Amino acid sequence: MPNSLQDKANQSPYKKMLQNCLRGELRIVNSGLPQSQKRLSSLLEEKYPHVVCNDGSTHFFKRNELEYLASMLDTDEQKALPLPMLIELGANQAEAAVICEGQLEAKIISKALDMPVTCEKRRIRIYRPQLALLRRKFKTTTVYVFSPKIVT
Amino acid sequence: MPQLIRVRPTKIELVKLKRRLSLAQRVQKIVKDRLSILTMEFLHTARDTAEAKRKLLDEFSKLYRALSIAAGYHGYIALEKELITTESDLKITAGSRNIAGVRIPSFELMDNAKPMTEYNLVDTSSWVDNAAQLSEESLRAIVELAELQRNFELLAMEINRTKRITNALEYIVIPGLQATINYLNMKFEERDREEKARLKRVKVLVAQG
Repeated sequence: MPNSLQDKANQSPYKKMLQNCLRGELRIVNSGLPQSQKRLSSLLEEKYPHVVCNDGSTHFFKRNELEYLASMLDTDEQKALPLPMLIELGANQAEAAVICEGQLEAKIISKALDMPVTCEKRRIRIYRPQLALLRRKFKTTTVYVFSPKIVT
Repeated sequence: MPQLIRVRPTKIELVKLKRRLSLAQRVQKIVKDRLSILTMEFLHTARDTAEAKRKLLDEFSKLYRALSIAAGYHGYIALEKELITTESDLKITAGSRNIAGVRIPSFELMDNAKPMTEYNLVDTSSWVDNAAQLSEESLRAIVELAELQRNFELLAMEINRTKRITNALEYIVIPGLQATINYLNMKFEERDREEKARLKRVKVLVAQG
């Protein structure tokens, strides 16, 4: 076995492919993030409500979801709510965090989950079962972000 | 037993291997997170697909019953003549969305499409109205099921792919890297010991001389 280590340092094509594959994994997990968020009011006015993602693809919103969100908020709040909402997955597998600008997201999540939530350091912490419930209600208006603390 | 990687036994290679190990461990963490998210979405989609399928079958059964009654009341030829005028192109918005790196399709039936009740309301009965209303609901259910079914397939394929990567990392890549790093460390320690022994021997020889 030791002799094999002293052989030429060339890696097998399989190993090279695996390394490329691993680097590709890091790239694709956050490829679906939007380049910029849009406000709910402007999305409601669009014929085909969508945002452009980092990889150049488009992320479409379902109109009924947008209307459901609009029914929870008044006109000023609709102008302030950025969409899609970002759900951050961090080092702790048991919980996730919704990234929020203000109290609007907290209001929506609180109504959707039917429980009080608090916004701390621009994050609303929720557990996995609540995340499942939230995703069920907001399939197109939320997207996952893999935390930059893990992805570098 | 993990397979050792073929590298030159040098310190630079050891540093490179340690970097590769740290990358592999980070990727493993992300891939595992991604797998858990995809599994959660897959289970939801499976549940929703089953529900949508059941709903579609119910809608179809109601629709066929309503159509049979309408056909019985008006006669097939008269009903067909009335329904020819309601033929219209279906307008569906097709887009895509992204779930943890998986691009999945999204379909939505446009509301402003031509309604199905454009037949002569004077010559037809409420049975036809009922059948038309049920067919609109069935169309909606078909579009919903089409989206869910495709999402279900795409998520399942991605879960399989991600599982293969997780297993490769867990059982081949990381153990291989760790074993090689351990081997190189042992090799360097052995070299140090040899060097010390050689120096001691030289010292003895010098003292004797």
